[in-house]
Amino acid sequence: MNRQTGRPNHIEDYLISLHTGQWFGWSDSKNKIYANLIIHDDSKSKPTEQECIDGLATLQSDYDTAVIKKINDKASANAKLKALGLTDDEIEALK
Amino acid sequence: MTAILKVDTIQDTSGNNIINESSDTITIGASGDTIALAGTTVTGITQGITNSQQWRITSAFTVGTSVTDISSNWEISDATGYATIGSALTESSGIFSFPTTGIWLIMAYANFRGNTGSRGVGFNLKATTNNSTYGFVSSAENNNSDIGGASNTTYHSGAIMAMLDVTNTSNVKFRFTVQATDNTQTCDGDTTRNYTGFTAVRLGNT
Repeated sequence: MNRQTGRPNHIEDYLISLHTGQWFGWSDSKNKIYANLIIHDDSKSKPTEQECIDGLATLQSDYDTAVIKKINDKASANAKLKALGLTDDEIEALK
Repeated sequence: MTAILKVDTIQDTSGNNIINESSDTITIGASGDTIALAGTTVTGITQGITNSQQWRITSAFTVGTSVTDISSNWEISDATGYATIGSALTESSGIFSFPTTGIWLIMAYANFRGNTGSRGVGFNLKATTNNSTYGFVSSAENNNSDIGGASNTTYHSGAIMAMLDVTNTSNVKFRFTVQATDNTQTCDGDTTRNYTGFTAVRLGNT
């Protein structure tokens, strides 16, 4: 995950979304690639590499969609407040 | 000319011992005395801290609503500038054993994040003195608000400390647990910096 934006950017972000607990780890924690993915919890199945790739892409898409929605919602709210007659300063004061 | 003074005891003029030797034990001063070393370089005295080290988890994981041990993915820190003093603790399934007896200070910390609902989480250190029954020693109860909107990811951290009297390295051990109060949260871990882990320092003899 990007620490500044919160946007998922690694398959670990997908893996932690699958189950609670420390069900997985890395045989080389300095090199977190799929080939080094290990499963600690035998009751959990190891996702395929493609599932990890697709899962991460979905998380990123969901994140981007949420960011765009937030921007649009803000613009829409500002427009509606202006339509009600509020000035920019008044709108800013509400935030 | 070299002079040798052979005595077992040196006393002040009031008859109080300043230095005494008996059965290979040399006693300097007496209880209540102050021993002042005026600008002297002192050698041969055992250093105060003989063991200090940092551990951390290398991967993030999702904290569920049931009590869960932090049982895997532990490593000794190798962060920039890091160095260990003394022998390492040993870890097995998240249970830590001490390399030597003594009074130990454990300073632990955990970082959490979440983006849904209630964001409370507990972070606990549990210890045993009989290698069997673990009791809570120290806890951090953390809660986080949904600052900036309900779906915003927000972050918080918890810190706990404990002092353990390790009289027996086979029996005195400790471990960590976490538990989310309502909604799941992420407990952060990384192999390049310490997000969740602890520092153990041996303060002195038991």
